[in-house]
Amino acid sequence: MDDLEFRRALLADPKSTDTQVLDAIASDPKKLAFSNELKQLNQKMLEASQIKVPDGLAHRLLLRQSMAQHTQRRSRRKYMQFAMAASIAMVFGLSFVFWQQPSNSLSLSEHAIAHVIMEGNYALGANEDITMQQVNLKLARFGGEFTSQVSQVYYANYCDFNNVKSLHLVMQGESGKVSVFIVPHEQAFKADNLTEGKWNSQSFDFSTASLVVVSEAPADASSMKEKLVKSLIFSA
Amino acid sequence: MFSRKQIQTASVSSTMTDKNKRYETLVLALHADIFRYAYWLVRDKAVAEDIVQETFLRAWKSLDSLNDEKAAKSWLITILRRENARRFERKQFDLVDIDDVAVIDEQHSNETEIEHRELRVILASLSEEYREPLMLQIVMGYSGDEIAEQLNLNKNTVMTRLFRARNQVKEALDKANENRGRKNG
Repeated sequence: MDDLEFRRALLADPKSTDTQVLDAIASDPKKLAFSNELKQLNQKMLEASQIKVPDGLAHRLLLRQSMAQHTQRRSRRKYMQFAMAASIAMVFGLSFVFWQQPSNSLSLSEHAIAHVIMEGNYALGANEDITMQQVNLKLARFGGEFTSQVSQVYYANYCDFNNVKSLHLVMQGESGKVSVFIVPHEQAFKADNLTEGKWNSQSFDFSTASLVVVSEAPADASSMKEKLVKSLIFSA
Repeated sequence: MFSRKQIQTASVSSTMTDKNKRYETLVLALHADIFRYAYWLVRDKAVAEDIVQETFLRAWKSLDSLNDEKAAKSWLITILRRENARRFERKQFDLVDIDDVAVIDEQHSNETEIEHRELRVILASLSEEYREPLMLQIVMGYSGDEIAEQLNLNKNTVMTRLFRARNQVKEALDKANENRGRKNG
């Protein structure tokens, strides 16, 4: 290692642990002096570099972080609260919609029984013999048609079924007269079965209209419903 | 459902306090070194403090990515250098000359203080490419390899810069002594 190389190595790193550098220092007092001089300079530079750190810097750093964390957490909490409120509102909204629908839609059977009771003998007392063609003419309005004669038809007329223009028939059941309503799907109705007092009612949903049957004998309502379901056709 | 939620928030807040503790330790252990490093990078105390604030705030945000505590110093230096570079993207500040800044160090005698002051002026006058590796070596106690890694330079380049930096400091000191000798004589 020549002199220049030695100086270069030591100037780059006075604490060099390179064996060649260390050997050179050990063998030459001048080089030892140079090494000591540089080590001293290093120490002085270290001291000079240790400028005073501003008072309370560490505390300011910690404070700033905790402030940042606080705002971050608060905004997250705000967001969470908003999300909670939104989801609660949504649950309320949805349950309202789902609750409203069934309670809003009228029971077909209940209304049909009420209709029959209110009407008394007006329709049930009728005693005509209406042909299937005549019935089908009226049914055509709702896109329906009887494909076969089910039984004798005593009465066939339009009626007001909770503000829906419907067809009211009175037909012959196995043990008595049966009231039949054909109600187009203009309102939300619920096709259900019901027994109220002496009255029995059964209903059925076609694609565009509902069928409701009301009879005094329970067997009449269900057998008539089955016959009508087989015989009736609705084209949309 | 509610009890599970409580446990979760409890563990979240406990990892939060863990993180805060780590951060506090990091600040207390390293803020002085990092501040001094920043100061020697920008040669202005106010700017240095700003950069250090930004650096530690960023460090806190990504503290989870720091896995090795031994690497904390070089991790912080990396963030700090990036912050400093960002400052230059925004605006080139007029830097205050070291002579204008009163850097008072009462612990030392007047003579040593004069010597230190002289050295600080010399160190501050070095160009950044020499000053930065030299400060890493002196203030942070980094080896040539570590400096090379931190500054993303080749080791030979680092050693050359260190040699030139120290050479310039020595020359400047010799010149100052010569001037003083002439004045005194």
